[in-house]
Amino acid sequence: MKKHLIWILPTITGSVIIGLWYAIIVIGGQPDYVLPSPWQILQACVTERHLLVPAALRTGFAAIVGFVAAVGGGSLIALLLASSRWVKMSFYPWVLVMQMTPLIVLVPIFVLWFGEGLPSITAITFGICFFPVVANTTMGLVSTDKNLLDLFKMSNASFTQEFFLLRAPYALPYFLTGVKIAGTLAPIGAITGDFLAGTASTYAGLGYLVQNYRSQIMTAELFAVAFVGCLIGFIFVAAVNFVHWYLLHNWHESSLKAEH
Amino acid sequence: MDRPNNTPLVTLRNLHKQYGGGETVLKDINLAVNQGEFIGLIGPSGCGKSTLLKMIAGLTPVTGGILDIAGKTPSDARDRMSFIFQEATLLPWLTVHKNIQTTMRLHRVDKQECLRVADKMATLVGLENVKGFYPRQLSGGMQMRVSIARALSISPQILLLDEPFGALDEMTRDHLNEELLRIRSIEAWTAFFVTHSVSEAVFLSTEIIVLTANPGTIYKKIAVDFPYPRTAKTRESPEFQRLVGEVSHHLRSVDR
Repeated sequence: MKKHLIWILPTITGSVIIGLWYAIIVIGGQPDYVLPSPWQILQACVTERHLLVPAALRTGFAAIVGFVAAVGGGSLIALLLASSRWVKMSFYPWVLVMQMTPLIVLVPIFVLWFGEGLPSITAITFGICFFPVVANTTMGLVSTDKNLLDLFKMSNASFTQEFFLLRAPYALPYFLTGVKIAGTLAPIGAITGDFLAGTASTYAGLGYLVQNYRSQIMTAELFAVAFVGCLIGFIFVAAVNFVHWYLLHNWHESSLKAEH
Repeated sequence: MDRPNNTPLVTLRNLHKQYGGGETVLKDINLAVNQGEFIGLIGPSGCGKSTLLKMIAGLTPVTGGILDIAGKTPSDARDRMSFIFQEATLLPWLTVHKNIQTTMRLHRVDKQECLRVADKMATLVGLENVKGFYPRQLSGGMQMRVSIARALSISPQILLLDEPFGALDEMTRDHLNEELLRIRSIEAWTAFFVTHSVSEAVFLSTEIIVLTANPGTIYKKIAVDFPYPRTAKTRESPEFQRLVGEVSHHLRSVDR
């Protein structure tokens, strides 16, 4: 019974929401360009598919590139920060400053430096995603169990042994938490990126479509873009969650099924 | 590293420990421990008994006096020493069998030998049926068995135990105490055992050292003469109870 509830309850709440949506249209009588009906949005998804599908693929690709850059770059920064207390004290505040800087202001600068299109979009996605990876991975690398470090010291473990056999696996759950957060941010980063730095000739992703539909007040189509963006997000999160589960399910509390 | 019988294996002479030029943790510790002895270290919190253990292990530097282990410094004598911590201190991402092999792998023992010894150790401590399990699937007592197996895998000459059974319930603790002595009758290492439990110290030790706190000094050395093998029966003897009472008395007089 419980198993079915997982599907039944959201279906009921979803139906209620759609019902309310129609009720608002019927009672309020808003024109289509203010509030299109769910059916119109679905139609827009179909009629605009020749634009939506390639745009979604581009955005998905940009999200992957930006995500990989953020995970790779973020881990590298974390490794440096965790390498010594001095490095961390010297640089961590500046990492925070980078994170606090409103990215949107930097976009014109990115465009100047990297040009419009994928390079700038990647930079923006990186900017949005890298921090959770850095913060979590650094935390994981510096919080290795003290007794385990002593155990390795007792065995005269080399630096590489200590890193690969102890510190890195110990930091893995932390790292994966960062990766999970980055995964939820990456599609948003990519859409924001090509909204701000995409053009028809360089990179027409979902963000560029938004610009396009906005100028023509094609509201149903805008909702369709949101729907597609949401789908990309789901695929991304599902993939990242799978990796998280795959790597940790044997041993880590976060991935264990409740014991009966 | 084997010594003639008349030379102590571990010698502590006027041993002194100070943290960062400030607080003195241990003062004037003199102790000569022969091969095969089982030293129980007991004392109030803050008496530096864990610090003493870490100094012998070479995990924290000696700040005064002499600490000699068969003519070597602690960090040079490490390859024949094992440390057992209060928590099992296992690698949660490795199975029991692989956890037992960790120390051997760090010592670069070859793979076949690792597997063989790990099997032997698992059997010795009664883990042969859970070799493929992960630590989280085991009870606290079982995890501690893994920790003991790992420590013994390198055939240590000296075993340092820092309240290893402190977090376990009394029945499990008593049982592991008996197991430890059973294994000792086969493996014959020299042990330093830190504990808060008087009866545990009396049950295991050949000699009990009672320490005072702030700074830690040796208050009393008490020889424990019960013959080995000691069993559950030993605990019931009046002589055992008398000695527990005596050690408790000393402990009370330093804990003020």
